[in-house]
Amino acid sequence: MSYRSQRPSVAESPRGWSHSLVLFSTFVCLVLLFIASFIQHAHADTGGLVKLNDVESGALLFNSKEPGKYVPAPLLATDVKIDVTGPIARTRVTQQFINPGDGWVEGKYVFPLPENSAVDTLKMVIGDKVIEGKIKEKEEARRVYEEARAQGQKASLVEQQRPNVFTNSVANIGPKETIVVQIEYQQTVRRDGDTFSLRFPMVVAPRYTPKTAEPQLVDFQSGGEGWGTVLPPERNDDLEQPPVLHPDMGKINPVSLTVTLDAGFPLGDITSPHHKIALKRDGERKASLTLAEELVPANRDFEMVWKPAATSAPTAALFRERIGNEDYLLVMLTPPSGSVQPEAKPREAIFVIDNSGSMSGPSMDQAKESLLWALNRLNPGDTFNVIRFDDTLTVLFPDAVPAHGENLAVAKKFVKNLEANGGTEMLPALRASLVDRKVSDDTRVRQVVFLTDGAISNERELFHEITSNLGRSRLFTVGIGSAPNSYFMTRASEAGRGTFTHIGSEDQVTERMSELFDKLRNPVMTDITATWPDGRTTESWPNPVPDLYKGEPIVLSARMPEAKGTLTLRGEVAGQPWEVHMPVAAGETRPGIGKLWARRKIEQLEADAQIAGNWEQNDAEITRVALEHHLVSRRTSLVAVDVTPSRPDGEKLTSKNMPVNLPDGWDYEKVFGEPAIQRAKQASFGASGAMLAMAAAPAAEADASAGLALPQTATDAPALIHGGMLALLLAAMLSALWWLQRHWTSSAWARRQQ
Amino acid sequence: MKALMARKAAVLWAAAILLCVGLGTWQVGQGLYIMAKAELAQVLLERAWTKTLEDGRPHKAWSWADTWPVAKIEFPSLGESRIVLSNTSGEALAFGPGHLLGSPLPGGNGTSVIAGHRDTHFSLLRDLKNDDIVIVTSIDGIGREYKIRESKIVLADNSNIDPRAAAGLVLVTCYPFDARERGPLRYAVFANENPDAI
Repeated sequence: MSYRSQRPSVAESPRGWSHSLVLFSTFVCLVLLFIASFIQHAHADTGGLVKLNDVESGALLFNSKEPGKYVPAPLLATDVKIDVTGPIARTRVTQQFINPGDGWVEGKYVFPLPENSAVDTLKMVIGDKVIEGKIKEKEEARRVYEEARAQGQKASLVEQQRPNVFTNSVANIGPKETIVVQIEYQQTVRRDGDTFSLRFPMVVAPRYTPKTAEPQLVDFQSGGEGWGTVLPPERNDDLEQPPVLHPDMGKINPVSLTVTLDAGFPLGDITSPHHKIALKRDGERKASLTLAEELVPANRDFEMVWKPAATSAPTAALFRERIGNEDYLLVMLTPPSGSVQPEAKPREAIFVIDNSGSMSGPSMDQAKESLLWALNRLNPGDTFNVIRFDDTLTVLFPDAVPAHGENLAVAKKFVKNLEANGGTEMLPALRASLVDRKVSDDTRVRQVVFLTDGAISNERELFHEITSNLGRSRLFTVGIGSAPNSYFMTRASEAGRGTFTHIGSEDQVTERMSELFDKLRNPVMTDITATWPDGRTTESWPNPVPDLYKGEPIVLSARMPEAKGTLTLRGEVAGQPWEVHMPVAAGETRPGIGKLWARRKIEQLEADAQIAGNWEQNDAEITRVALEHHLVSRRTSLVAVDVTPSRPDGEKLTSKNMPVNLPDGWDYEKVFGEPAIQRAKQASFGASGAMLAMAAAPAAEADASAGLALPQTATDAPALIHGGMLALLLAAMLSALWWLQRHWTSSAWARRQQ
Repeated sequence: MKALMARKAAVLWAAAILLCVGLGTWQVGQGLYIMAKAELAQVLLERAWTKTLEDGRPHKAWSWADTWPVAKIEFPSLGESRIVLSNTSGEALAFGPGHLLGSPLPGGNGTSVIAGHRDTHFSLLRDLKNDDIVIVTSIDGIGREYKIRESKIVLADNSNIDPRAAAGLVLVTCYPFDARERGPLRYAVFANENPDAI
């Protein structure tokens, strides 16, 4: 003992050395682990298919000679005027473009709009000609356009690609000619809690960057071959700096923007998160604003947010418009806001969680995290149950149990141990969740929260199950993962009289789930019925009226021969009947109410067709309504033709043999330059579940614009094997080091012994 | 004391090495597992496909599968074949190439798209040359011959593949082939119906 302690320095030095080496190698291992997990995480981020909808701003693209390559027309100026009336916004966008080339071109203008927007007006000013668009059936409109194009007439065509993406084709634009495109559309403003907001997708001026784009572009084989027939191929180099495009123009696109706001309620704060604004208030309900700076860098969407001054009881608003022999009405119900809330009923919460194989990876973690979050926030008076399903099914408790300690602990353990595996048999789970043992118990509200990625194919059966067995239950779908089948889930929650929430990434779990729980906790108004003065001649949408959750407005659109008499709205707020009478003749007259009615009717027809599958009948009705109200829809398009031919005979229209499809969001910066932007955009789309829902809608038209979106087709295997090999190599190196160290220590020891 | 310290150091050394060995073996194992699964699944799928050809109805290769064979694709120039599954979810692609929903099935009206993993089932795409023949057998047992027209690198969300274009076939996999990271590029092989075939 004493002998050993006499040689502290000898003992110390190898120990210190080996100790630090061990520390070092542990560190290396940890770094490796970290890298491995990071790689997997990064994979999860890029695997989604959400990008179909990347068009965030309008841009005019000219077809070029090479398929898939487009020449962006420089955007010169944009003027935006938005009128907000209650829940409706009417926007007029005027944009001026120039054809920088020496040839005759066909251009295509893509513009993303909110999904509920109704495009009803198109005007083209080419040179000194004003062409106004006419509404026609889709096929006919296309035929008219193509005929005009072939005959050298200037023509334009506005088509709906998806409910939130429209295209405008413009034929026969002459060399160096200036074109003014004016589009008007109507939309309902977004509402989230007490916050109203409106977004205008700011136009990003297309930056002309063929050098960056070329090596990575669609076709490697054709190399540097002609960037379009706008200029002859030998003038390729000139295109990099088109004479008309000042370098600065690519970065700054002068936008002037005016908003007039008539909120329909006393206004609180009005803000614009991304731009400086000059605000002018006009009484307590109205305001107008303009951009404070004349030149606004067009790299951020304009967003306006306004809040009401707090109210404590539901308030209603009414607008009307007379078209022909009919009156159109818009009824707006604003739920109570602020802190004064009626007491809510206790709940029976049924959580359904999908643990099928398609959920594996981050989706499963998000679903579990969301569910655990939800379980933690149940009130003591609530009851609950948990159902999990893949191709098998487990109902945790035989019946809903009180949400207290032991039951919750059992449920949490159950959820934590879930693993994603197996197939997706959603129908039995849905059926089980809708089994209600206390059908007539109205002391509780029954809420089914369904967490899934919706990877299913028997949508029709599921809809049928929901509509026929819903009873007093309400269905809240929560879409998990970067690319859930949100189209199905939105429709399912509509049929289930609940809401749809999309959770696209782990960091959204808390935010989105608390929004949803706010709604679940506050069933402001249920069983709403609208009784019109003359029920037989009145057509009102949506029908039936959905429940009024906290944070959601109810907007009713109706048509009747003459607006007179009294509308009675009945509902139930926290067990108390609520009733309001509204003299329908009293509404303030506003334009656009009829179009909103038509758009909502079309929306409902689309939804009905989806559920019932009777496309033909509904398509005919959609066409009829859209034609009558001059709206662009899935079945109708706006077409404008200037009858005087402008392209001389013999001059070639360069797009002649071009494919009509157009890449959505063709934005070099977005695709190649800054991945960060891409991610930010995905995130912003995640923010609006409804919009995403439409993006995922399998509309046949969608395919036309960007080509099919292709799935992720790489496995983790090479990365895993590579990482594993590295780790093994490191192990071998460590072993060698260890051996060397021992060898060295023992020989030193031996020397010392001697 | 000295022995104790030496033992401590040895334990740490062993732990570090074991950790690395463990991690490495686990990762390599996972990687090999993915590849083995891909290989084995094709055997099981082949069996299900035979049944499908017999009665013309879809059969799942295993009862809990989310997907089922919808076609068989053969590459005579490489002497290889693959069973094509009914969708392109991550789950399906682990077992075989999948038919991209939104495009018609092979033999249908338009351009049909089949996607597969670059490191397993569709690693062979890089070996295909223009004018090579691809034979696709659909569920009705009819084999169709396609001739490869060209191969291109496209962007996943800007593929420009129009499913309503002329009857044809597009085979898609991730690009570049040897990359370890996932990315936005796809390798697409375009084939037309072979006019020479009878």
